[in-house]
Amino acid sequence: MSAFATLASVYNTPVAMHGELEITDSNTTTDSRALNQFLASVELKAFKIAQSALRHESDALDAVQDAMLQLTRAYAKRPAEEWRPLFYRILENRIRDMQRRRTVRARIMAWLPGHRDDEDDESSDPIAQAASDEVSPARRLELDEAMTALEAALHDLPNRQRQAFLLRNLEGMDVAQVARTMGCSEGSVKTHHFRALKALRARLGEFST
Amino acid sequence: MSVNDQELEEFEKRARALLEESVTRIDARLRSRLNQARHAALAEIDRPRRAAGWRSFGLAPAAGVVAAVVLAVVLWAPRPGQILPVAENGASAVEDLDLVADGETFDLIQQGDGGFYEWAVAQADAGQEATS
Repeated sequence: MSAFATLASVYNTPVAMHGELEITDSNTTTDSRALNQFLASVELKAFKIAQSALRHESDALDAVQDAMLQLTRAYAKRPAEEWRPLFYRILENRIRDMQRRRTVRARIMAWLPGHRDDEDDESSDPIAQAASDEVSPARRLELDEAMTALEAALHDLPNRQRQAFLLRNLEGMDVAQVARTMGCSEGSVKTHHFRALKALRARLGEFST
Repeated sequence: MSVNDQELEEFEKRARALLEESVTRIDARLRSRLNQARHAALAEIDRPRRAAGWRSFGLAPAAGVVAAVVLAVVLWAPRPGQILPVAENGASAVEDLDLVADGETFDLIQQGDGGFYEWAVAQADAGQEATS
């Protein structure tokens, strides 16, 4: 059995709601407290989604921060149940903007001598990459390999497929919620999701046998 | 459910577990930066109230109209014994009133774009001198 199959099955507990109990400012209004709770519940997953699409830590952080700001500025007064689809729609738009900008920048930079693609890439810092939990080095390496392979495969998916797959599997949305977030029909979501699953299975097949 | 479907379902479960694990393994530095980003975003909720100041009392439209009227009087009202100025392109100064009476004018004033209005007044004065 491969690293992907072995390691992934170990982690079957749901992700904790990061930051849910972090509200410390007693002066915050009800609105900001609710929004704080919401943003805290999505920020880590949103970061992973942005990172899967952009494969760059700083860009992913920027995308999440921009989405938070835009949601707060424009939609804080909207009903709380609307925040999740709105937030992920904003995030996806931001990701696409960054991808377009990056494409243009890459074309320009390609003409400049001595350019390196990995400039300003903080992910190369081994200290910064230190995980917050305690895992044996061997297991950590195997886990990293499986994650790297999955993230690379996700990155190579078409945007809509990746979005449908991650909203279903990382954010835990049902088909109707994903459809609302992506602004398409439930049938389209099912198609995108199924194609993503098939493509990932085909690419990572060696992990699951 | 076919064998193929079962395989896909199992694969998806493993992928989901791995994704969830990758979230839990986000390091403290990144968590801190996301936390800062969240608080920066939340600070925006109070910002409009502080920045709005007197505008929040609904005075902006009235002040905009007053400013527009004052400018219109300066540009449009002829002095005693003078002919109504005509712009270079032949348009009446009444059109200048339309230009300054819209809602965006006051925003421009607030943004410190007073140069345009100084120029407009100078143009009007020049026109009056030319016709006198």
